[in-house]
Amino acid sequence: MTAGAALTVSGVSRAFGGVYAVRDVGLSVAPGELRAVIGPNGAGKSTLFALIGGQLAPDAGTVHLDDQRIDRLPAHRRARLGIGVVFQAARVFPGMTALENVMVGAHATTRAGFTAAALRLPAHRREEREIRDRAAECLHRTGIEDWADRPAEELPLGQQRALQLARALCGRPRLLLLDEPASGLRAAERDRLATLIEDLRGSGLTILLVEHDVAFVMRLADRVTVLDLGRTIADGTAAEVRADPRVVTAYLGTGVPA
Amino acid sequence: MNRRMLAALAVVTLALPPLLPERHLATYVLLGLAATVTAGVSMLMGYAGQVSLGQAAFYAIGGYAAGLLTVHGVPTVAGLLAAPVVAALAAVLLGAPLLRLRGHHLAFATLALQLILLSLLGQGDWAGGAIGLQGIPQLPVGGDLGYAYLIWVVLAVVLVICRNVVASRAGRGLRASATSEIAAAANGVAIARYRLAVFALSAAFAGLAGGIYAFYLGYLAPGSFPILLSIEFVVMAVVGGIGTIAGPVVGATVIVLLVQALNTLGTQPGMPGYAPSVLSYAVYALLLVATVLYLPRGIVPAVLDGARVRRGRPSIWGK
Repeated sequence: MTAGAALTVSGVSRAFGGVYAVRDVGLSVAPGELRAVIGPNGAGKSTLFALIGGQLAPDAGTVHLDDQRIDRLPAHRRARLGIGVVFQAARVFPGMTALENVMVGAHATTRAGFTAAALRLPAHRREEREIRDRAAECLHRTGIEDWADRPAEELPLGQQRALQLARALCGRPRLLLLDEPASGLRAAERDRLATLIEDLRGSGLTILLVEHDVAFVMRLADRVTVLDLGRTIADGTAAEVRADPRVVTAYLGTGVPA
Repeated sequence: MNRRMLAALAVVTLALPPLLPERHLATYVLLGLAATVTAGVSMLMGYAGQVSLGQAAFYAIGGYAAGLLTVHGVPTVAGLLAAPVVAALAAVLLGAPLLRLRGHHLAFATLALQLILLSLLGQGDWAGGAIGLQGIPQLPVGGDLGYAYLIWVVLAVVLVICRNVVASRAGRGLRASATSEIAAAANGVAIARYRLAVFALSAAFAGLAGGIYAFYLGYLAPGSFPILLSIEFVVMAVVGGIGTIAGPVVGATVIVLLVQALNTLGTQPGMPGYAPSVLSYAVYALLLVATVLYLPRGIVPAVLDGARVRRGRPSIWGK
């Protein structure tokens, strides 16, 4: 791990059926940094995302959150350590209202168990109130408070994405992982999302943004890591990466970079 | 279901026992016991996505725990309290390795547990063997009427616990993991532990009902806990509406009353000796098929949906 880094990925590999999706990838993200990971389809972005979020375990290599090794921990433990996740697919919980969905996000930082709930202990009631308030605040922050009492599956795609973000924020993460948050969004929604992400970074949150849309990334990211065929091919500021000939050929093609 | 309806139902339920003849009072007690066990099965199926095909094993464990302890001189109230605890412990031991696996491992394991338990109880002299455990003392509740009220109070407490759990942090975690395990885990839900807790809770309900059953009857035999009883609990849960609070009561009532009616029919003069059992098997099968075909979510959700077109805010009675 890199001293002082919020997230350190080193030498991480993961293969599926003998084919490497991610091979010997390393990166380190400073506290408060907004790091983008870009690459063409099949570059290994989503695999890397899952290796950090805990949906997958690496075959080799390590992942550290601050100075704690997390690559062998199950996803729910990583969430408790402060990793918030927004998936690319709209993984909302159908049959629960938007507010309830966001309240699930508070799991990572709350404690009440079955006994406290079954007996309605005062501590449980206090915590419930706190969770509800916090969830309402997160819905407000992501601009979907009007949807609070609607079943999550009835929300349009853009609002479902925002709902996932609200849910992740409700867990008060130290590190926020976003997997292609802009995909499928209309231009206005995309701008609103970008503003929100900038706002979150402004509040000191460390963010790792996996994205296909280069324009979206270049506008937001402090630094950009470029993957191609499972390997890191470039790592630097947006301007450096844009000027890197390997990136231009591998990812941006021969045309003018976006 | 609104409060007024609920209050009316409670009043009718509580007014009933003194009016019932002894034979029907027994049905009333057994119905309360069945609904209590079914409440756990319904939670397990609706919120942990698991089926128990051996829930009668926990019913038996609770019964025998209470029976054996009190036969050996432990006070009856302590025996009753031990029943759910012993059953829950058994569930934790069995469930811990199994709930990590997906699919129907738990269903098969619970079925196996019950078969093993039945043969152990049948062989074991310490449990009275095949003849059964005799001479279990009575609870100080003042006769059959007392048992009728005791079990319905217990059922009410069990339903309140279900409602409280469902509408809590733990309940949200369970509901979330029922629809997306990946997203639930990413939000910090310890899915395996939660499912184990629901399994233990369902076993505790069954154990508690089993304890009351032991005192009520005064003797226990392995034959009182057939596999068919476990199936019956599952059918009650499905018919009433899985994962609903009122469903177990509705499902148990429908099945128990139907079985009673068919028993009466089957024991009419002129009916062959096998009529009652054949009729009850046929009813389970028909009810299950009819429910799955016409009310796939069970009676309670169907009735609630009919009464209340979805208004955003889901009722915990229906969800």
